[in-house]
Amino acid sequence: MTTTAIPPEAKHAPATAPKRRPKREREGAAWVFLSPWVLGATVLTLLPMAVSLYLSFTDYDLFNPPQWVGLRNYTQMFTEDPRYWRSVLTTLTYVVIAVPLQLALALVVALALKGMKRGKGFYRSAFYAPSLLGASMSIALVWRAVFNDGGTVDNLLGTGGWVNKPGFSLLAVALLTVWQFGAPMVIFLAGLQQIPAELYEAAAVDGAGKWRQFLSVTVPMLSPVLFFNLVLQTIQAFQVFTPAFAVSGGKGGPADSTLVYTMYLYDRGFVASHMGYASAMAWVLLVVIGVVTAVLFRTSRSWVFYASEGDR
Amino acid sequence: MPGHRTTGFCASAAALALCVMLAGCSGSGETAGGGKVVLRYTWWGNPDRAARTEQAVALFEKQHPNVDVTTSFSGYDAYKQKLATQAAGGDAPDVMQLDYRQIDQYASGGVLLDLAQQKSVLRTSEIDQGLLATGRVDDIQYAIPQGRGTETVVHDVTTWKKSGVPLPGESWTWSQWADAMRALAKKTGRPGATDPGQSEDAFEVWLRGRGKSLYTEDGGLGFTAGDLTRWWTFTDKLRREGAVSPAEQTTQLDGSVENTPLGRGKATADTNWDAPSSGYLALVPSGVALAPMPSGEDGTPGQYFKPSMFLGVSANTGHPKEAAQLVDFMINDREAAKILGAGRGIPVNETIRDEIGPELKDFDKTIADFQASLDGKLKDPPQAPPSGDNALQTTFQRDYDQVSYARMSPREAAENYVTEAKAELRS
Repeated sequence: MTTTAIPPEAKHAPATAPKRRPKREREGAAWVFLSPWVLGATVLTLLPMAVSLYLSFTDYDLFNPPQWVGLRNYTQMFTEDPRYWRSVLTTLTYVVIAVPLQLALALVVALALKGMKRGKGFYRSAFYAPSLLGASMSIALVWRAVFNDGGTVDNLLGTGGWVNKPGFSLLAVALLTVWQFGAPMVIFLAGLQQIPAELYEAAAVDGAGKWRQFLSVTVPMLSPVLFFNLVLQTIQAFQVFTPAFAVSGGKGGPADSTLVYTMYLYDRGFVASHMGYASAMAWVLLVVIGVVTAVLFRTSRSWVFYASEGDR
Repeated sequence: MPGHRTTGFCASAAALALCVMLAGCSGSGETAGGGKVVLRYTWWGNPDRAARTEQAVALFEKQHPNVDVTTSFSGYDAYKQKLATQAAGGDAPDVMQLDYRQIDQYASGGVLLDLAQQKSVLRTSEIDQGLLATGRVDDIQYAIPQGRGTETVVHDVTTWKKSGVPLPGESWTWSQWADAMRALAKKTGRPGATDPGQSEDAFEVWLRGRGKSLYTEDGGLGFTAGDLTRWWTFTDKLRREGAVSPAEQTTQLDGSVENTPLGRGKATADTNWDAPSSGYLALVPSGVALAPMPSGEDGTPGQYFKPSMFLGVSANTGHPKEAAQLVDFMINDREAAKILGAGRGIPVNETIRDEIGPELKDFDKTIADFQASLDGKLKDPPQAPPSGDNALQTTFQRDYDQVSYARMSPREAAENYVTEAKAELRS
């Protein structure tokens, strides 16, 4: 950190040893090349984060200057706001439904594609496509139409509109995420292809069937990749917004059933004009995601197997 | 020479970064390539209003060759949120359509220009003084009302006639309305109307019919949890009977006519403001008609004439004169008034109203006739709602969701709402 933090001006400083001069100059050039990124990171990331941290201790309605209120936003959130806890519960439910389903589906499809001889490229692209499209609002709106009353699913299954039933709406939101399993699938596929064929041959010689091979060879060898996907998808799931926003028409409804954390944050900030409160919520989310990730890393020690430390 | 190259890169990188920042920062006040003044004009509405507005704006551009107007519109909910964000970022559009509920907040937040500064190009002499005053905060004219509107029971008149249920007359009470909805549901096999329980506007009409109001003069809540419980018990019962729309349909409402049960062909009537009701024509081809809102049981009218919407100019605009000219054009130009019709309510310019009135065609005439039938019968409008009201509209709908999905009793939800409302109005 200390060496990289030398500002570009440092190259004008008298060099202590003439031999080091070219290196310093190269460093200066590096800073020039980095400057757009540094500028972007500062102006677009660090500065807004600092402002948001400040706002989280204020009452700010977007129109009048922020009023310092100390920890009031935080205490209000934890002790006086039932909807806050509802949104926490909804988000946790969503994470527990969406992440395992998505990873399971990604793994199953990756396994199927791995053994495939022809048309692999086509299927890989076909399954990956939803992940490229998925973040867009348009797909989420299509989803809403599909699960709406009078929509495709209603017509086929006679379920009524899922997005209008408080008991099913969150599932409809989760399914949109599950459907976008392409990214973890591609990573699984890459992981699967790294597993040496000899291991399977040895297992087969020892009399292991397909299922035994999967449990004793594939799962341990794939565990680092599985762990990577789990961490990544969990972090993403905690921040789910677009599907919930689009499926509920921006309201987190019906009856608050799709009011995930970020939706409530949005509602506080942009609908009710309580930007300070919304900022406080954002910082709590950041801390929670940090804690959850740390816990995942801690538990990973007992189940993630790295080949390099296999003899430990 | 490496040194030279570094300096060159340094300069170009800095220039590039500067360009990016400038491009990002330039807000209103930009001019197009040909030295034209570019105005941003945003509003909410339906496609019918969009077509008329585009036509009027084209005429304005023809009259003012030096001005280029870029317009954008969306549904009310989305518009409200986008405008709030833009305004907070100091990037409000040069000319913006505003709701009664927004004036107080936007004016006190310094978003709006004092329009008296542009008196020379923006005439207000032909607007009713009482109506004009609704755009004033602390004696400063921040916005100009654009039209007069009132609520209505808009209905699919053909279906209603076919059902054999008597058509609504000159006046009716809420219990007569409820009976009509029950009869319609029985005869047509589908809900009579949108469940009005979700609408703060409908509640206000009902409340005024009982001699109360949404807000007190000092900006507090003008009703009790008991009042709201009574209203929600009334609508909840109708929903359970199937006389009004089920929760699954009601929850889809987002302020656009397309998502109402009437617009989707799933009900015979809806409560809405009269001006946007023109949007139903495209969805209910056999035609819609307007009936007055039900009054209190003793005949006290609850509905009122409200400035339907306002035009305001951004305090940060680079072209206050041109922006004021556009506002003047939309409100005082005879040709523009002909194009715009009653799509934003009946014109506020009295000369134009008298001139254009008899020339109004089709649905514009329906709206004008409807308003004329109510003239002199209604009570004075309430004062502009306090700032916190903006968020409460959504809260109202959300809390009623809990009732219509049978997750809370009307009393529980009403108490919830009153608690939330009091907190919101205090902050």
